[in-house]
Amino acid sequence: MSMTGNQGKLIGYFGFPRRRLLGEVRECFGTGLPLVDLDVAAGAPDSGLLPRATCRIISNIVDNAAQLGGRLAAVVAAVGEDKCDRGRHAAWILKGMGLEVFESRFPEDEFEDRPLVWSTGRGRLPHRVDRIMETIVDPSPPADPPAACEPTHGFWGVPPNDFRLLELFPETTHIYGWIRCVEAGRPSDLDLECMVDDSIPTVFFHQSFCAKQDLAHNLAEKYGGIAVDCHQEINDSILAKVEAFIRLS
Amino acid sequence: MLIADCGSTWTKILETATGEVEIISTRELVRRGDLFFEVATGHSGKNRCGIYRNELIALAQGSLALVGDEDFSVVDVGGRDVKFIRFAGRKVKKLDWNLACGSSTGATIELLGNYYEVDFDGLPPSGRWINVTCGVFGMEKVLEHVSTGTPPEEAVAMFLHGMVRNVFDFSGRPEHLYLSGGFCENECFLKTMEKYCGVTPLGRTVPLEGLKDDI
Repeated sequence: MSMTGNQGKLIGYFGFPRRRLLGEVRECFGTGLPLVDLDVAAGAPDSGLLPRATCRIISNIVDNAAQLGGRLAAVVAAVGEDKCDRGRHAAWILKGMGLEVFESRFPEDEFEDRPLVWSTGRGRLPHRVDRIMETIVDPSPPADPPAACEPTHGFWGVPPNDFRLLELFPETTHIYGWIRCVEAGRPSDLDLECMVDDSIPTVFFHQSFCAKQDLAHNLAEKYGGIAVDCHQEINDSILAKVEAFIRLS
Repeated sequence: MLIADCGSTWTKILETATGEVEIISTRELVRRGDLFFEVATGHSGKNRCGIYRNELIALAQGSLALVGDEDFSVVDVGGRDVKFIRFAGRKVKKLDWNLACGSSTGATIELLGNYYEVDFDGLPPSGRWINVTCGVFGMEKVLEHVSTGTPPEEAVAMFLHGMVRNVFDFSGRPEHLYLSGGFCENECFLKTMEKYCGVTPLGRTVPLEGLKDDI
């Protein structure tokens, strides 16, 4: 690891890397360096390094990294079961771009059992999903926890590329799937990922071209919910489908 | 008062005072900037109405208005997408809206029918089917079959059969389906569907019935 000349640089990460590894990389490259979540759609131009028909989140990682380029002191890359094979491939592509990449595979013996404050709390769904994703970097208990609530609806899945989808849900929506796993500190816990409340109508969301579609479709069929996928931006039809499900269920 | 279901390829307009229904192509609707509706649903109705209603909600309300059963399934096969609702005790038990995969199959069959000048009323159902992943992939299969000697009518009937299988699977393979949309008037589609389940066509104006609740 190199640590000189990193002023003004960033540390990128994607997925939910092991906390210890993220900490070690920060120690090495500078604890003051801002962290940037490469999964998030940040308006980076198409790098052309991936086919168009691929997971938008993985494209975000590669496009963001390509745009940031030399500003990235290092990238901490989740490449294990806690992410996906495409995360592993993205890490390989980033290495090929000359970036210093540290691979993370989140092991079961590092699973945590953190309280599900945001997943089971009341409040705007996009805000709560954001707060959960922030716990990857800062797992300290929130100063402003939401009040717990009885769920009227469920949202299962990963943070969507386009958060406008989340705006449709009532504040009493509980969060399930990989996002809940993140809040619990157990990103590859498949049992927790597939746990839902079968008494509430649930939308099972996955990004198009993501392997999680297998879970979403299976769970939607099993629990009478709907599977919804989206590639890039949410369109009117997807919004209308979710709106109708929320209203009619 | 005019209410309308403005689909991707066809627009159904109801004059509530007379009960008269006019069906025009959405191509014509788009050209006529003067058409405005009190209540509308459908992809193309959003910017030309006083009140806009979600298509699935209009379909649900219209189905309940037309069907008296306690438990039933309805599927609307449109030009661009397929919508499905299962009712239990006249409450929505499950719904879905096929948007991406399987999209545009309805519009594609219309294109193929026009191109090959197929009379769907006289078209016999085919025992064979094409895997209609979506309109474009299905069309490619039809073109391939025709180029290798399958009569165009047979290839189009195979496309229809593939669509029927998709609709049947998408609806959860029920014993009986109420059908909404333009395919209610396609004899080949209906006969093919009867190979899989009972089917009762409700016609092209089910969502319009649902919009009446909003007047």
